[in-house]
Parts: sequence; C-alpha cells; structure tokens
Amino acid sequence: MGIGVVLLAALMSSAVALRKSFSAADHFFSTHIQQIRIIDFLSRDVKRSTIVTTSAANQTVTCTMPNYIVKAGDADVGTYPAGTRRTPTVTVTPNGAVVHYGLVAGSKPVTQVQYAVNNNAIERRETPCTANSSDAITNTGTTVVTTIASSTDQLVPLTLDVELAKTEYADTSVTFLTTFSFNPPPNANPSATPDPTSQMKRDGTAIFARSYLRNKRRG
Amino acid sequence: MKTRTGVHEGSVLLCALCTILVMSLIGANILVNCTTRYNVTSKQVKAWKEALIAAEAGGDIGYAEVRKTIGDPNVATIFTNDGWATPSPAPANPTWSKSVTSFGQAGSLSSQVTVDKFWTDSNGGPYYRIRSTGTAKVFGVRRTGMDDRMSTGVRFAANAETRGDSDTLLRKIDFNYDHFKATYGDGDGNGIAITTVSNPQISRRIELIATPVDSFDAAVKCLSAFNGPGAASVVDSYDSHNTPPNGVSTPPGSNYYFAADNPSDPHYADSRNGNVAVDTPSFSESGPIYGSVGTNGGNVTHAAYPNIYGTIDNSISFTVPPITQPSPPTGVSYQPGTPNTINPTAAATNPATPDWYLYSDFKNVTINARQDATGHPLETYVTVVATGNVGGNGNPTLTIAKGVNAKIYFAGNYSMKASKTYNNNVDGATGVYVYDGNATSQTPSANVSRAAHLQFYAINPPAGQTQIIDTNPGGAGGGSAAQLWAVFYAPGADYYMNGNPDLFGAIVCKTFYGNGNCGFHYDKALLWTAGPPVNFRIASYVEDVR
Repeated sequence: MGIGVVLLAALMSSAVALRKSFSAADHFFSTHIQQIRIIDFLSRDVKRSTIVTTSAANQTVTCTMPNYIVKAGDADVGTYPAGTRRTPTVTVTPNGAVVHYGLVAGSKPVTQVQYAVNNNAIERRETPCTANSSDAITNTGTTVVTTIASSTDQLVPLTLDVELAKTEYADTSVTFLTTFSFNPPPNANPSATPDPTSQMKRDGTAIFARSYLRNKRRG
Repeated sequence: MKTRTGVHEGSVLLCALCTILVMSLIGANILVNCTTRYNVTSKQVKAWKEALIAAEAGGDIGYAEVRKTIGDPNVATIFTNDGWATPSPAPANPTWSKSVTSFGQAGSLSSQVTVDKFWTDSNGGPYYRIRSTGTAKVFGVRRTGMDDRMSTGVRFAANAETRGDSDTLLRKIDFNYDHFKATYGDGDGNGIAITTVSNPQISRRIELIATPVDSFDAAVKCLSAFNGPGAASVVDSYDSHNTPPNGVSTPPGSNYYFAADNPSDPHYADSRNGNVAVDTPSFSESGPIYGSVGTNGGNVTHAAYPNIYGTIDNSISFTVPPITQPSPPTGVSYQPGTPNTINPTAAATNPATPDWYLYSDFKNVTINARQDATGHPLETYVTVVATGNVGGNGNPTLTIAKGVNAKIYFAGNYSMKASKTYNNNVDGATGVYVYDGNATSQTPSANVSRAAHLQFYAINPPAGQTQIIDTNPGGAGGGSAAQLWAVFYAPGADYYMNGNPDLFGAIVCKTFYGNGNCGFHYDKALLWTAGPPVNFRIASYVEDVR
C-alpha cells in the first residue's frame, strides 16, 4: 500500500512537472513563432515603404507605402477596376524619376501601416491616406486592425537616415519573457527597471532584424 | 492466498497502464506541437523567405535584360534572342515574359518574369515594369498544417485585406490550390481559375520599375581623358528654370549668370554642379571647377587642384553607349533634298514624328520653326543625319529658329565656330508654345533649356579612326565672348575648344581638350531632355501581398 502511494505521488509529481515544463516550453516556442512573424511582417512592409518612422518610445513603427492595388472608393477606381494593379505614374525631377501609384490630379494616395504594442499584443493597423507635396499624411478611410502577435511585448524599432549612406533602414528587436520558473521571480513589467535575472532571461529571447527601405524618397 | 496475490498483480498492471497512458498522452501532445512548431519555424518560414529570393532572382533577370537594351534600338530582338516570349494575346504595351524553372535546393524554386515598357518620356527614354512571381515549395507533410494559436477561425475572405489571420495572413501557403489564381487570376482579375498545386507552395509577387539614367548628368563626361582649359576658364552650372534676380546681367536670351562664389545668391546651389567625370585616371585642369570631379583610378586631390570646389572621387566608373547612324522609323522617309533652309512639315510639331533630313555635309543651313495662326513659334522637331561633316572650311554657319528642336547626327568631324552657331531659342522658352490642335496654341512650352534645343550626336567612327569636334576652329569671325548653347553626345570623338568661347549645355566625349579662358556652364534643366539612356536603375519596388 505504502509503495503504491509513493508511486502514485511520484507519478502525479512527474505529470505536474512535465505539464508545467511542457506548458512553458510550448509558450516559449509559440511565442518564438510570433516573434518571427512580427519580424517578417515588418520586414515585408519596410522594404516596400517610402517612409518609415518610429515613436519616441520605440513602441510604434509607421510605414508609408504606395497604393499598389486599387480599392473600392479610390479616386481612380474608374480608370482601374477595383482589385487590379495600378500602372504607376512617373514624375521626372532633377534628382531622378519618382514613381507614384494612384497619382490623381496631384493627390498622392498612400497606405499607412502602423505596428504598435498594445497590452503585450502587436497590432498591425492599416489605413488609407493621402500625402501632400510635403509628404504630410491625412487619413482618408477606416483603419483595419489585425493582431499579429499576442504575447510578445517589446517592439524596439530604430530608423536611421544617414545622408552619406543615402539610405534608410529599420532595426527591430522583439523580446518576451518566458514562463519558466525563475528565482528570484521576474519583474513582469518590461517598461519598469527589471531585475537583472529577468532582464537576462528576456535578452535571451531577443530576435533582431534590419530591413532597408527600397523606395526611400531621396528628393 | 492465491486470490489476494491476484488482486495485487492486477493493481500493479492497472497502475502501469495508467502511467503509460498519461505519459503517452503527454508525449503525443508534445510531439504534435513539436511537429507543428518545427514545420512553421523551419519549413514554412524558410519557404516564405525563399519565395522572395526567387521573385527577386526573377526581377534581377528582367533588370539585366532591360540593361542589355542600352544603346540598341532593336529591343524586341534582344528579348527574343534571349528566349523571352511575347504573351498571347499581345498586350497593349510591348511585353515579354520568361519562366525560370527549377533552381535552388532540389529545384524547389521557380520564377515567372514579365517585362513591359509602360511609358516613354518626352526624350524617348523607355520605362520598364518588371513583374516577377517567385515560388518556393514547402517541404514537410501537409497534414501538419499551420500554427493556429492566434487564429480566430478566419481562413479566407473575399476582401484581400482580411484574408485569414496570423500566419495565414502573412505566408499564404497554397497546400492544395493556388489561392492567388483562384481569387485574382493574373493579378488583375483575368483568368480566374481553380488550380491545384503539385506540392504545397508559397508564391510572392514583386513589381520593379526600371527608369533610364540620363546621359547628361554632368557638365563634361570623358571616356578617355580630360585636359581642361586655362586658369581664366570656369566650369560651373545653372538652371535655366531659374529667373535671374533683378539687376543681374545675363547673356541675351539666357538665364545664366555667375553665382558660384556668392553663397547668398538665391541660385547659388544650382551654380555648383559643374561636375566633371573621367572614366580613366587621366585628368588635368587649371581653372576653377565649381562641381565635383570623378576619375577612374586617378590621383586627383584638393591639394593638387585647389580650384576644385566640389568633392573628388577617384573610384568612379561609367559607360556611355556608342552612337550608330539612325534611320527614320518604319513608314517614315527622309524629306526630299538637302535644303539650305528647312521649313518643317506640320507633323514636326509632334516630338514623336519629327521631320527627317539626310545630308552628306551639313553647313550653312537655317531651320525654321512652325508657327500657329497668330505667329507664335511652336516647338518643332527636326532630325538631321549627316553622313559627312558638320561645318568645315569657310566659316560655315548654322541657324535654328526659336522653337526648333534639332537633333543632328554626323559621322564625320565637326568644325564650326561657336560664334557662327546661332541657337535663337531662349532659356525659359518664353513665347514658345506646344501645338495642342488649336489654330492658336494655348500651351506654353515646358522645355526651358535653350541648350536642349540644339543636340549634336557624333556617330562613332570605325575602330582606329579619329573623330574631331572643334567649336572654335581657326579663321576669321571668331570674335570675342562667343557663346554656344548646345549639347554634344560624342563618345567616340575628341572634343576641342580653344580661345574664349562659352559653352552652355553639356558634353559627353572621348577626350576633352581646352585652353584659353573658355567657359563651360552646365544647364541642370538638360536632365531628361536630351541624350540616350546610359543605364537603368530601379526606382520603385512594391510587393503584391494578396
């Protein structure tokens, strides 16, 4: 009887330990997948952007990109059916040819995509906009919000525009805090000063990427 | 006793079975999740990235083919000879396509490229659109599917912006059917069809725009050597768009004035782009250059040349395509005769249908412009092909009226004084109109560059022969302060300017030699108005993320 109780206790302990370990491992790898997804989303959109800016707190990335596909309600929807690809308009300037998609009577419709951290989730917010001659952006439609990751919590983008380099790129680092047990317990709030142990654990999950703008306006 | 023993043995067996069951469930759960994670992080991410690599490879192939057309008017032949096909039915734009199959590991990548010339600028420069679809096979068993942790169950919606969620939204894996063809056909809604795929695959689609690079992007470009004029000379720039400030003295009909030493001048920035580029180390100069100097392997320094006021780069290289004798396009013939006075036809008011003339030697010719009903000069386009020389002995002249855009090709030498070359256009194109179909034209000309109205193209001589351009040959009538507004594209010619003429425009030549105090004033408004494309660059990149 005694042996049976011991065996049962051992079995239960093992099962609980395995379950906790598996849960933490599962959380780690599923979040890792989301990290990759964030990086890939950002990389794809930065590459096709003309302008990329980041917020002061480095928790928001805003990409302005050409309106390649005609959507219902666009000003030139009569010229091009909705759902088709636009033929670009080329403007010749002293600094070279500038390519626009959807240029109508001087109006420059663009799409603005914003990546933002929202309560540990990463949202992708896509908004139709218009850019004026100074590239000031005005929203002209409804923002579509898509949650692309649910448990990563530190989006650290940096953009740099070095004149000599004649280019611009966005650096992105995404981290999360694992659910493995720690001693001492981690500080769950990444914006506060974390304790060294949890910071070390967080740093260990970092994924970094650098994406160059291929349409950087150099005018 | 036997019965009690049997009960104990059954309990142990039951416990063992329960243990195995629990452990197996946990293990199976781990295995399923591991397989999914592995599939996503390894196979699917890999294929997604490789699909872009395949698309970019296709884009590079298209771009390389476009660059082969530099300096060769037989564009269709170039594409055809390299295995490109014209789609059927043929689109409105000249279009070629090519499939690149089975490259990458185990032939897992492929791309489909389409190149079309979607626009031509007013200078005849072609603009190409390169569309490339890259496809990568997704390895691994397809039943493992995708990571569904984030999924809200949205797998597909007709609206492209809400197609799926999480990884589905990003990677768009075609497990059994090509989702793009089934929804968007060729991308514009044509040919929509349900198409099965032989392997799970990911396709990514990019569009690149290749734009021509202008040949006159510097004051002087030399393929072999630059031996500049004396200390009293100057190389600078201006922009004929700019109206000079009040009180500033300019040559008649020109917006040029010297501003390169006055930072407070409103057009100071436009005055310091008198760039000189040499595709060899050979460079020498005595006078000031208000612009950048580039050589290919030279040893030019600011210490040795303190009069260079721009940057110096000794590691540049460039190519300029040679000029061959052109012919009128199909269906167009040369105008009859070799008149001393050319009165263009009505068709010559369209830049796409200039009048063509064929001369042996070209000199002492006046070219008039078309006028509207009220006598306004209209932009008029004339192309002259001279199989011999331009100018020659006896102080020959050339006169083009206000509004004339003359392209003069010549196979021999050029010898005509700047003071005898009368370009009666004006910077700003004041008073010149574009024919718009009305008896009285209402559209002012936008071609503001006086120099752009007179373009000389020196046909490359046969190998081993020289070609000389002299804009101030000996003889009477040179005068002082002679001025010439023109551009010279002469990649096979040796260009000479002696004495004190001023050239407003730009020069592309093999060698350049100048002495005395002649001046070279590069008109920045020349860009995109003259000369053949010397290269192409990618000006735009978009990805079709549907």
